[in-house]
Amino acid sequence: MVNGYAPKCLQEALEIRAAHDVVPYAGGTDLMVENRPNVTYLFLNKIPELKQVVVDDNYIRIGSGVTFTEAIANENVPQLMKEAISRIAACAIRNAGTFGGNLGNGSAKADSVLIEFVSGAKLRLLSVKGERIVDVEKFYLGRKKLDLGSDEIIAEVLLPKTGLENYYYEKVGGRNALAISRVSFAGVFEEKDGKIVNIAAAFGAVADTVLRYRDIEAMLIGKTIEEAKAMKAEYIQAYSDRMVLTRGRVSAEYRKTVCMNLLGEFLSKFGI
Amino acid sequence: MDAIKFVLNGVEVAYEGSATDRLLDVLRDTYGTKSVKCGCKEGECGACSVLIDGTLINSCCVAMGAVDGCSIVTVEGFRETERFAALEKAFAGISAVQCGFCIPGMILAAEALLSKNPHPTTDEIREGLSGNLCRCTGYNAIVSAINTAAKEGNGLW
Repeated sequence: MVNGYAPKCLQEALEIRAAHDVVPYAGGTDLMVENRPNVTYLFLNKIPELKQVVVDDNYIRIGSGVTFTEAIANENVPQLMKEAISRIAACAIRNAGTFGGNLGNGSAKADSVLIEFVSGAKLRLLSVKGERIVDVEKFYLGRKKLDLGSDEIIAEVLLPKTGLENYYYEKVGGRNALAISRVSFAGVFEEKDGKIVNIAAAFGAVADTVLRYRDIEAMLIGKTIEEAKAMKAEYIQAYSDRMVLTRGRVSAEYRKTVCMNLLGEFLSKFGI
Repeated sequence: MDAIKFVLNGVEVAYEGSATDRLLDVLRDTYGTKSVKCGCKEGECGACSVLIDGTLINSCCVAMGAVDGCSIVTVEGFRETERFAALEKAFAGISAVQCGFCIPGMILAAEALLSKNPHPTTDEIREGLSGNLCRCTGYNAIVSAINTAAKEGNGLW
């Protein structure tokens, strides 16, 4: 075909990616809006190896070509992820949009990426030279800047198998369907023997990348709920001091207020 | 270079143009299937919705290379079916059409919904149409028409 390659298997796709200057194309829902001139697409939408959801000892591995509709129907995809992706746009977009495309687009508004940040997911990148596993937090270098080689494709999202059961998720947008996030928030919480063993919070659509601060999270790790309650104001203040929001269509002040409110709600939900 | 081969409304076709061309434009300009409307080119309005291998997709957000080997249905093909007749009767009977621009997308969204869920609730109909914008008739009549089609066309889906 002219200006495109449509490989039938992963190996063929990797060889084309290495040999030619191509833009990986998954669902098209972001790329076709952008509609860059003079590009050649590498169509990844029909590669069976990228369309699987597999559970192994440590991870739920979601193929980069899995669409949001497919993931919502898959019993192995965690509820938190389902909640976020079921609020992406409307069904026709969810029928086409994929995990790989949501990542590759490089936006901090990507709803599936928020969940990958809060869960500490890893990404499996492939090239003809082999595989590279990177933390999603390190994969995002800045706005639209990704740690992705010109010969690499995003193959899988590796979500941890546990730790996402207790969560708080909110997406704030202009309307229900079709809304791009103005602020999105996901928090996960885990308590064991009366002590907090995991608490994580991620903020989407507020800066160049999704924001997550592991050092602030660490303030509450190992604390009891009572101890955490006593530190709540200090904890929220630490986020407020750290977060610098980019300007958007909706004012940074408003979005920051929403962020702090959502953080407070998340803590309250788990008794803090 | 191999052409992009796909089935359009039951007929095999071969597209010789660029793989980066927009499906929406090709459907209208090359194949004359003008039921497919261009509203926004951003995947926001649903006026360009088509069925690709039975799945509702916004054709503005599809590059031609992605449909190689696929089967695409637009209203030009769907109108030959009994299901379309049931939807048409219900839409006309309830006056669920005013300017008509959004209706081809609405009809295919209804077909996609009813194929999966032949007896949807009102909420499920609204969810099924949530990606299709109408700026004149309003949604109540359209939801009502789909509800009627599902009841009257019982067994078709």
